[in-house]
Parts: sequence; C-alpha cells; structure tokens
Amino acid sequence: MKNKFLKVVEDAAFKKVAELAEKSETKRVIEPFQVGDTVEVHLRMLDGDKERIQVFTGMVISRRGHGMGEMFTVRRIVQGEGVERGFPLVSPKVAKVTVKKTGAVRRAKLYYMRDRSGKGTRLKERIVREAPAKAK
Amino acid sequence: MPIGLLGRKIGMTQVYTDTGKVQPVTVVQAGPCPVLQIRDKTRDGYDALQLGYKEKPRRKATRAERGHVSSDLESKRRKKMPAGTQLLPKPNCEPQTFIREFRLEAPAADITVGKVLTAFEVFKDVKEVDVIGLSKGRGFTGTMKKDNFHGLGASHGVKKAHRSLGGTGSLSSNRGSGRPKKGKKMPGRYGNERVTVRNLTVVSIDAENHLILVLGSIPGPNGGLVTIRPTNKVK
Repeated sequence: MKNKFLKVVEDAAFKKVAELAEKSETKRVIEPFQVGDTVEVHLRMLDGDKERIQVFTGMVISRRGHGMGEMFTVRRIVQGEGVERGFPLVSPKVAKVTVKKTGAVRRAKLYYMRDRSGKGTRLKERIVREAPAKAK
Repeated sequence: MPIGLLGRKIGMTQVYTDTGKVQPVTVVQAGPCPVLQIRDKTRDGYDALQLGYKEKPRRKATRAERGHVSSDLESKRRKKMPAGTQLLPKPNCEPQTFIREFRLEAPAADITVGKVLTAFEVFKDVKEVDVIGLSKGRGFTGTMKKDNFHGLGASHGVKKAHRSLGGTGSLSSNRGSGRPKKGKKMPGRYGNERVTVRNLTVVSIDAENHLILVLGSIPGPNGGLVTIRPTNKVK
C-alpha cells in the first residue's frame, strides 16, 4: 500500500498537471483504455512559440508503472515498418487520449504483436457487459 | 549553522514543472519538531537548539526520557534540591524518539523551549538543503559493489574469480614491508552509515502535511529518520 503522504503529493502533482493543461485551448481528456485498445494520442508540440497538436494512432501494447510514473506504449505500422512510442499517462504534453476501437486480449503485454504482420495483427472487439469493465 | 529540522523519508515520486518537464523528487516529512532544550554559551559552552521528532509512547520511554520533557515528573533528585532552585525550562510534551542538536552562531532570539517548529516556517525562504540520513545496510559486500572496483576479466583464462578484487600488494607498494597497505580497500560491511547529501533543490513545501519535496534522492530506506537543514555549501 502506498504511503498516505506520498499519495497527497501525487494527488497535488496530478492536479497541477490538469491545471497546466487547462491554460491551453484544448481540454485534457484521458479516456479510460486498456491494453489491446486502439487509441488516438494527441500530443502538444511546441512549434516556435506556437502550440500545435500532433496525433499518434495505434494499438496499446503495454501499460506499466503506477501513479505519476505510469507509462503506456502505442504501436502502429508506418509504411510497413512497426513504430512504437511510449507516453507518460500523466503529462501535460499528452493533451488527449481517445479510444477508437477496443480489443479483447488475454495478456497484459502484447509484445507478440511485434512478430505479427498484416491480418495477424487484428484483434476481436471487447464486448462490454453491463458496467464498464475497468475505470481509468 | 542555521536551524534545520528532523524528519522522515516518505518515498520518491515525480512531479511536473510549470514548463511540463518531469522532475524526480523525494518526499520528506520534516517536523513538527518541539524545542526540547536550548544550549547556552555560558552554561554549556556553545549555543544550540535541541529538537525532537516523533512522539514515543510513554510506556516505551525510559524515566530519563520522560523527565527530559516534563517539569512535573517527581524525582528524588528534584526533592533533594534546596527550595527555590530553578530547573531548566522543559517543553512539557510527549517523549521524543529522534533527538538532535543544531549548533547556532548566536543565541536564537525568538525561540523558547517548547516551541514547535514546522517545515513551513523553517524552510519557506530556503532554496537548497542538505539531508543527513543513515544509508541502507548492505551487509558483507564485495569490492565491486562497495568500492567500484572493476573485478577481473570475463575471459582470457580467469577462473572463478570474475568479481575478485585482484592483488592486494606488491614488493614496492608498502616500502617492501611484505604486508598490504593500511586502509587497503577490501570486501566488508557496507552501508548503514551516516551519509550527507548536500545542495538538494527544494521543489515545494506542503505546510499542511509538513512535507518538503527535494530534487533527487536521499540516503536510507523509506521511513528512515533524516536531518534536513539549509545547505552549508558555499557557492
């Protein structure tokens, strides 16, 4: 169990990230997602002193860490080449995460996707019964 | 030396700066620390503040520890004193687990025995701090971990001695005495010793929970007792 004082600090840090993001035009929305889902990650990029949004779309193949240090990895195929990018879940640079498609998987880490290509990379949609399976 | 505080290492996490950069921080709970005694130049030969941290259950404290913080405890010694003898002021608080002194250049003007010092009042204008703690005990350790030796080669005929320290002396290494030099680094106990980390940046202070966030790591395990003071590093 996490120390309650550490939790106090992390909650404050989390709030600060949300406040930092609020100053910007785009609202920070992180939809709850799971490993296997196809997501769109909106990133704030600084272009000179103007802010610009870059989108990275792909399948979430891992989530690791907890609290302020939680990271997730998104994999996509660009021109026949696999590209993976890791993002911190709590970062003012990550402006938005939207779920495009769910995927039913039985693993926590989908590293086997690296050995697959073409039709082999497809996943079945996750069927959500009653309440949403997992929050955040 | 300016006044510091006593506290406890809570753990590490990360926070973001205003520009969106991530910083590794250690959370330290500093204080509240009651002043237990004030050392006096004329009486003790030096000026200092004696602070305590973390209350100790009275049933676990020794009689001396209880008497140190209480002016009401009955004792034979106090009874024997001639009437009207002035005792040193006592804080009248609970016995403390962790007690340390902070040396002062001059007597502290506005601090009296029993005053409770908090992180916010001591560190509000402080930018860098030093943290003193007891490092994690590692037991009997080889020279590779303890003294950063490189060990021997992985191949070229090295047999079962890859983490060995190598030679311990030569004919000329100690003026031909035939013995290794005094202080030769060898395997042995490592850790569980006092370590000071100086010049750590204060990221923020949480006055309500007595928390200080310092940039980087500090010695000891989570929950370990530490001393934290404004840095004495000269820039």
